[in-house]
Amino acid sequence: MKRIAAALLAMLALGSCAKSDHRTHLYLQRFFGECGAEYGGSTDVAKAEGECGIITALVNRFNAENPDIRIDVNVVAWPGYPQLTAQVAARDPPDLVTMHEGVISDYASKGLVEPVDGYLRAAGISPSDFTEAARQGVTMYGHVYALPWDTHGGLFHVNTALFAKAGLMRAGKPVLPDSADEMLQQARQFERRTGKPYLIQSNVGDPAFAARNLYTYMMAQGAVLFPDAKHVRLNTPIGVDVANYFRRINVEKLGTQNMDTPAAIAAFVSGEGGIYPTGTWMIGSFEQEAKTPGRPLYKSYAVYPYPRLWGAHVEYVSGHSWVVPTRTRTPAQRAAIARFFKFMAAHNYDWTRTGHIPAFKAVLDDPRFKALPHRADIAPLASMGRPLPAYVLRQNAIEGIVGEEAAAAFTGQKSVPQALAAAERRVDQLLATVD
Amino acid sequence: MAAEFRRGRLSPLGWAGLTAGAAIMLAPLVWTLLLSLKNNAELVGHSEAALHGPYTLQNYAAIFGNSLTLRWLLNSTIVALGQTAGVLILASLAGYGFSRLDFPLRKPLFIFILVGLAIPSQAVILVQHQLFAWLHLHNSYPGLILPGLVAPFGVFFMTTYMRGIPRELDEAAMLDGASRWTIFWKIILPLTIPAQSTLAVFTFLGAWNDYWWPLISATHSSMYTLTVGLAAAQMNYAQTSGLGYLMAQAVFASIPIFIVYIVFQKQIVRAMAGTAVR
Repeated sequence: MKRIAAALLAMLALGSCAKSDHRTHLYLQRFFGECGAEYGGSTDVAKAEGECGIITALVNRFNAENPDIRIDVNVVAWPGYPQLTAQVAARDPPDLVTMHEGVISDYASKGLVEPVDGYLRAAGISPSDFTEAARQGVTMYGHVYALPWDTHGGLFHVNTALFAKAGLMRAGKPVLPDSADEMLQQARQFERRTGKPYLIQSNVGDPAFAARNLYTYMMAQGAVLFPDAKHVRLNTPIGVDVANYFRRINVEKLGTQNMDTPAAIAAFVSGEGGIYPTGTWMIGSFEQEAKTPGRPLYKSYAVYPYPRLWGAHVEYVSGHSWVVPTRTRTPAQRAAIARFFKFMAAHNYDWTRTGHIPAFKAVLDDPRFKALPHRADIAPLASMGRPLPAYVLRQNAIEGIVGEEAAAAFTGQKSVPQALAAAERRVDQLLATVD
Repeated sequence: MAAEFRRGRLSPLGWAGLTAGAAIMLAPLVWTLLLSLKNNAELVGHSEAALHGPYTLQNYAAIFGNSLTLRWLLNSTIVALGQTAGVLILASLAGYGFSRLDFPLRKPLFIFILVGLAIPSQAVILVQHQLFAWLHLHNSYPGLILPGLVAPFGVFFMTTYMRGIPRELDEAAMLDGASRWTIFWKIILPLTIPAQSTLAVFTFLGAWNDYWWPLISATHSSMYTLTVGLAAAQMNYAQTSGLGYLMAQAVFASIPIFIVYIVFQKQIVRAMAGTAVR
C-alpha cells in the first residue's frame, strides 16, 4: 500500500514538472482535432491532408524553422470557447487561439483579445492584403482584432451526372439559376427527369443550414438584419418572401425531408439528389468521392457559391482566424507572435487545400491555388462574402436561434410569420441580456 | 437452486420478451462496435457498410497513435480513484459522526449537507472556478479531484447505513475498553463494506464520465481526462467523415467502465434495487 502511494505521489510530482529552456514559449490553442499519430513529427506541409494534418504540420514547420521559439499546442474540443472563457476567467489565457470571426466581437468588446495591428505591422502585413470578406470579418471598433486565416460559407455542391440527366448541363458545366423563379423551374425539371429531389437539405439538427439560406437571401435583397446591436429584423416582407420560398420547395417535395447533416451528406455521396448546399469544408471529402471509380459521384462533382436568386450576388460567410488574448507578455513573446503571423500568412495557400477560401488576395491569384480542383469556381466567395456586422455579439448563439426557427418555417412546423416573429423575439431577448 | 427454480417458472413468452428486450438493449452497443471496426471513408455514404467486412483496427490504432491517449487514461484513473477514495473516507467518517456521535448542531448540520443534494453543480460552477483559479489549482490533480469530494449523497448514504447497525455492538466494544476510533475502524467499518462498494462504484463511474469540470479546469492537454481528451481529438464533422474513429473512441472510453460493471455487478444491481440500505 505504501509503495502504491509512493508511486502515485511520484507520478503526481512528475506530472507537475515544468519545462525550462532558453526558447521563447508561445502557448497556442486550437480546434481542428488531434492527429499526432499521423502528423506528429511531420514538417512537410505539402504532404499533409485535411484541416488537422495541415495545421499540425504547419506548427511543426514553424518550430523547426524558428529554433529560438517553441510553440506548445493545446488541442481543445470544438469549438473551444468554454475552455477559453475559463482560461480568461482564471487569468491564464493562451497566446494564440483559433477563433471563428463571428465570435471575435464577443471577446473584443470586453477587451479580452488584443488588437493585432501592431503584430501585423511588425510582420509586414497590411489589412489591405486581406480579401474583402476576411477584412470585414476581423475589423471592428476601428482595429484589426485577428489574423484572418480563411473564409468559409455555404456552397452549392452539385452532382453533375444527375444534372446531365435532368438536362441542366451546358458546355460541361451545370446550369445554376439566376433567379428564384428559375430555380423553381429547374428544380421541377430535375425532379421530373431524374425522379430525385433537386436539393438535399439538412433541416434537422443543423441550424446553420437554414440560417445560411435566410441570411444570404435577405442580405442579397439589401435587408438590414441588425439595425442596431440589440435587435434583429427578420419578420419583414423580405424575410417572409425568402422563408415562403424555401417552404414552397418543401411543399412541392423538391428538396429532401427530415435529414440531419450526416444523412444529407450520405444522400449526396450516394447520388440521391442534385445539389447539397453545405460548406467549403466538405470539398475534400466530395472530391475524394469524385476520384473513386464506382462511386455515384465519380467524375460527377462540381461546386459553386450560392447562386443569385434575388437582388445582389452576395453570401453570408464566416471565417477562421488567429486571435491574441489579452495578457502580460514579454517583448520576446510579442516578437514571436509577429513571426508566427508572418509565417502563417506566407502559408495561407497551404490551408486553402482544406477547401476553405484564402484570407489573402495574393493567394487568390496564386497559380497553385487556381490549379486546385474547383477553386477557380468558388474563389468569388472571397469578394461576395458578407459577415454579420461586428457590433452584433453572440453571433453563434443567434445563428442557432435563427436557424432553428427558420427550419421550423421551411419545413412547416410553424407558420412563416410565427417562426420569424419567434426568432426576432428570442434573439432580441438574448441581446438585451448582453452588456 | 432457488434461482434455477425461479428460472424454470418463466414462461416461453417471458423468455421471448426478455430475449427481445436484451436484443434491443444490445443492438446499439453491437452497432457501435461494428462501426468502430470500419474504415471511415466507407461509412460516409453508407453506415450500413458496418454490417459486412472487411473490418479493420485502424481506428483503434489511431487512438493509440496519439501520444497523449495513455496520459489521459492515467489522468482519468488517478482522478477517478482519487475521488473514490476521498469520498469513501470522508463519507464514512461523516456517516459515523452523524449516526453515532452527539455534538452541537448535529441535526442542522446534517440538513445543511442534505441541501447540497438539491443544488446542481452548474449553479456554483462560476465561483468554484474562481476559487480554484485563486488557489492556482487548475491544471492539477488536486484541482480535478477536490470538487468531486463534495459528496452529500455519500454522507447521507453512509449515515443511513450506519444507523441500521445495532448500537449494542458499540456498547459491547466500549465495555471491552475500545476507543471511538477502534470501534469505527475495527467494528463499524467492516460492516459497511456492501455500502462502501456501492458508493465506490457510483463515485468511480461519476468521476470517470465527468466532462464539464475537467473541460474548464484542465485546459492543458497533458492534464485532460479521457473524456475531454477524446473529445478534443475529434475533428470537425467527425460524425460524418470520422464515424468509425468516433465509435472507436466510444468503445475505448467504455472499456474501464465495462470492467467496473462486470466486477461490481452485484453491488450495482443491489444498489439499483434499493436493497443496499438496510
